Amino acid sequence: MAYAATRGGEEAIEQAERLYREDLAPLTAERVAEVRRTMPYLVDRVMGEASLYEPDLAALALVQTGGDLYEAVLLLRAYRTTQPRLWIAEAVRHADILTVRRISAAFKDIPGGQILGPTLDYSHRLLKVGVLDGEPDTVAPVTPSETPAPATQPALADWQREKGLIEDARAEAVPLEEIPDVTRDGLLFPAPRAHRLQTLARGDTGGMLALGYANMRGYGPTHPTVNDLRLGEAEVRLRHPRGTVFSAGRVRVSEAEMVSKASEGGKLQLGFCATFGWNEVKTIAGATLDLSMHFENDYPAASEEFVLYHTEPTEASGFCIHFKMPHYVTFQSSLDALRDANAKREAHPATAPETPETPDAPAPAPELEEMPS
Amino acid sequence: MRATPLPLARNAPQLVTAAPLLAMTGVAKRYGDVAALTAVDVAVHEGEVLGIVGESGSGKSTLLRMMNLEEIPDAGRYTLDIAAHRGANLFGLDRYERRMLRVREIGIVYQNPHDGLRMRHSSSGNVAERLVITGERRFGELRRRAKDALIASDFPIKRMDRPPAELSGGMQQRVQLAKAIALEPTLLLLDEPTTGLDVSVQALVLDTLKRLQRERRITMVLVSHDLGVIRTMADRVMVMRRGAVVEEGLADQVFQDPQHPYTQQLVHAKL
Amino acid sequence: MSLAELTAPWQRFNYGFLDESAKREIRRKTLKAIAVPGYQVPYASREVPMARGWGTGGLQVTLTLLKPSSVVKVIDQGADDSVNAVSIRKFLRRVGGVAETLDTTAATLIQSRHRIPEEKLRADQVLVLQVPDPEPLRAVEPDISEARHMHADADYGLLWLKLYEQIVRSGRIMEGASYPSLVNGRHVISPSPIPRWDVPKLHQADNLTILSAGREKRIYAVPPHTDVAPLAFDDIAYRVEDHAGIACERSGVKGYFLNELPKGGGASVYEMSDTHFATKHIQKREGEAVSFGATYYRKGSLAR
Repeated sequence: MAYAATRGGEEAIEQAERLYREDLAPLTAERVAEVRRTMPYLVDRVMGEASLYEPDLAALALVQTGGDLYEAVLLLRAYRTTQPRLWIAEAVRHADILTVRRISAAFKDIPGGQILGPTLDYSHRLLKVGVLDGEPDTVAPVTPSETPAPATQPALADWQREKGLIEDARAEAVPLEEIPDVTRDGLLFPAPRAHRLQTLARGDTGGMLALGYANMRGYGPTHPTVNDLRLGEAEVRLRHPRGTVFSAGRVRVSEAEMVSKASEGGKLQLGFCATFGWNEVKTIAGATLDLSMHFENDYPAASEEFVLYHTEPTEASGFCIHFKMPHYVTFQSSLDALRDANAKREAHPATAPETPETPDAPAPAPELEEMPS
Repeated sequence: MRATPLPLARNAPQLVTAAPLLAMTGVAKRYGDVAALTAVDVAVHEGEVLGIVGESGSGKSTLLRMMNLEEIPDAGRYTLDIAAHRGANLFGLDRYERRMLRVREIGIVYQNPHDGLRMRHSSSGNVAERLVITGERRFGELRRRAKDALIASDFPIKRMDRPPAELSGGMQQRVQLAKAIALEPTLLLLDEPTTGLDVSVQALVLDTLKRLQRERRITMVLVSHDLGVIRTMADRVMVMRRGAVVEEGLADQVFQDPQHPYTQQLVHAKL
Repeated sequence: MSLAELTAPWQRFNYGFLDESAKREIRRKTLKAIAVPGYQVPYASREVPMARGWGTGGLQVTLTLLKPSSVVKVIDQGADDSVNAVSIRKFLRRVGGVAETLDTTAATLIQSRHRIPEEKLRADQVLVLQVPDPEPLRAVEPDISEARHMHADADYGLLWLKLYEQIVRSGRIMEGASYPSLVNGRHVISPSPIPRWDVPKLHQADNLTILSAGREKRIYAVPPHTDVAPLAFDDIAYRVEDHAGIACERSGVKGYFLNELPKGGGASVYEMSDTHFATKHIQKREGEAVSFGATYYRKGSLAR
């Protein structure tokens, strides 16, 4: 039944994919394990954007796509969407997070303490070029502290709430299965808070950085300060049908809380963002966006609709590359109108469009008017 | 100094007996701790020009926005003597009904043309859009009626397809006016229509308004801080201060013999 | 009772790729779209193994409607052999095991990007159109919340103004494809970027047309026997592309929508956009037995 042209098309796309794969090293379990082991921040980033916490699959997606992040996220998203939603975990609270790093820029010291944890923030970013010449890279082992930081810390916001600095907004008690899920509902505006935070959690790191940065530079209504920034691990706690809560494992998480310097009704405002994996820049940008979206403003980069639509990695990247597809039907349709309009213009130069009109009324007396500025 | 407003009945016009076209009673609005309007009553009769004068912050523009149903007060009634909604409190209409009423029955000219016009569309298109919303689907008819409205507003018709952004301030006000009168509204609202124009241009725009009023007997409510403009246009004057009406009466009466100290101050400052 | 008895045997993918909860949502939203013709129904829009913008909306509807007895035709720009059409067809084969056809008259389910076939669709056929941007108001009102208000109010003055401005500036309406059209006298839709040539095919059609935008997460529909009127002034006729009098280079047939192919020396040749329809004409010329369906256009004019 099929004609040669169709088989030709099928053959062409088959060969194009083979060509792409030939440029990549073979896909093996060893290479996947290597990526998982050596590039945890990269794995974390795609797990966050895919909203699928599975380091092996994330590493597989990275190797399978040769490190094309948008392709890797799409692979994971398309896998995720076929998985049944078996259970909903209990909410994770600040104080439950097994914290390895925790910073506040708002105070010198805070309840629970500032914990520097693993970071490159104060390191000199020098390429270790010697390694390429065979020099061994030696890193001295960490000296354990005599008094280890506590495993969990209280929320700074709790202290601020007690002092009346921020709104005493307590979480509503929502049954777990009634929490809106943006992967199962359409996104409408104004978005439920859950949809907003979920969309930020799955957002494109680069896109959120760009819009968050725009806000920070002044294209937004806020002047944010880091209130509480954490990297840690959270227990995924499930409630057994018999009522007992148990841990099904741990996930790496990052969360940021940004606070406005400007008050509103005598209270400071908080912005929040959390995501799977350790990705500080994303959560700081995301919490800044959340904070900015709270305020009435005219900045696109602080409008909920603008921000949430345009930081969606799969949608943004897909639409961008779709312009490669043929558009000759739509082009032909516009060309037809353009040619006809031009032909009319040539046939009747300098006349008004051929439209039924009443004859011109006598021009009114010239008016003394200022010139347009 | 008497701080309480005068009893309104004393200055109310005596000869008019028909029901007013526009009636507002007990209109009140607060913004947080600020009382923008406190129990304001307004009556405008058909064919009449009511001038509302007061300094900025007196509540006169808020009141006009309420007449245009752009804003809803905390309390009060608003009726227009029109077939579709006779006797109904227009503040109780839903968003859609308010919009349709605004399109069909009320024209408005704002001080800032950006509030009333699409600056990058053609001037004629600005007028035509209003006609299209009420169901006119003939292009020729849209052109003709847009043109008529522009001519009636003394707009130089050769420029009818230029966008307002490319026109002078006076011309922009004429486009707004044409848009406002295109559907022969029951009520024409003018919010500082000539403020910011050169004095000579201001006079010409006022001439147009006066001519339209004379020819078409359009009922107008004109808000201005400029007593000169009010005096030129208005039959009756309402003086507002701090969200309340302090004096009301026939224009000549109020200007010649102001009763309230605030009005006296205004009139004397002007003269 | 064992675990094996309680569960279905393991398989790599559900039939039709999407899980049953995703399909159920799409069925419900599609029914709503049919019940309110032209209204854009928001839906979750799952990711599928293709990039957003590449027909993922149409694909989700097709996957939901798919059954083993389906006969599927997939076209892109009117062509069955366009690479993305090939890719989608290959995917449907992989997850649905369906029969494929190039012949419009033989298909039960047609997924298309940017074209409606020239042969008239029947009541037993469903057309699924891929939609990049479902919002006809986007060009005049980019804010989606505001646009939803405007649809609720049937406030389409700005669209009419846009057409008015085009006539004033260019002497004619300059809309190309995606011509805004009023469905059932109530909602204005973007009929997806089909050319103006194809819009009248939706009016009082015998078939159901489902339009689905995956990236923008909206499903809407034109049910059978529903009015579809392109926005046009009463005194300025709606005009389709001026293709009626040009012959197709491949088949020699006149009177259908064409692709223009620029040639050296400033010349152009034209080929019929509905490629398999053209192929059938060639087969007929070469003496093969082919059957044609009725067509929407006859001798270049709408046949009604």
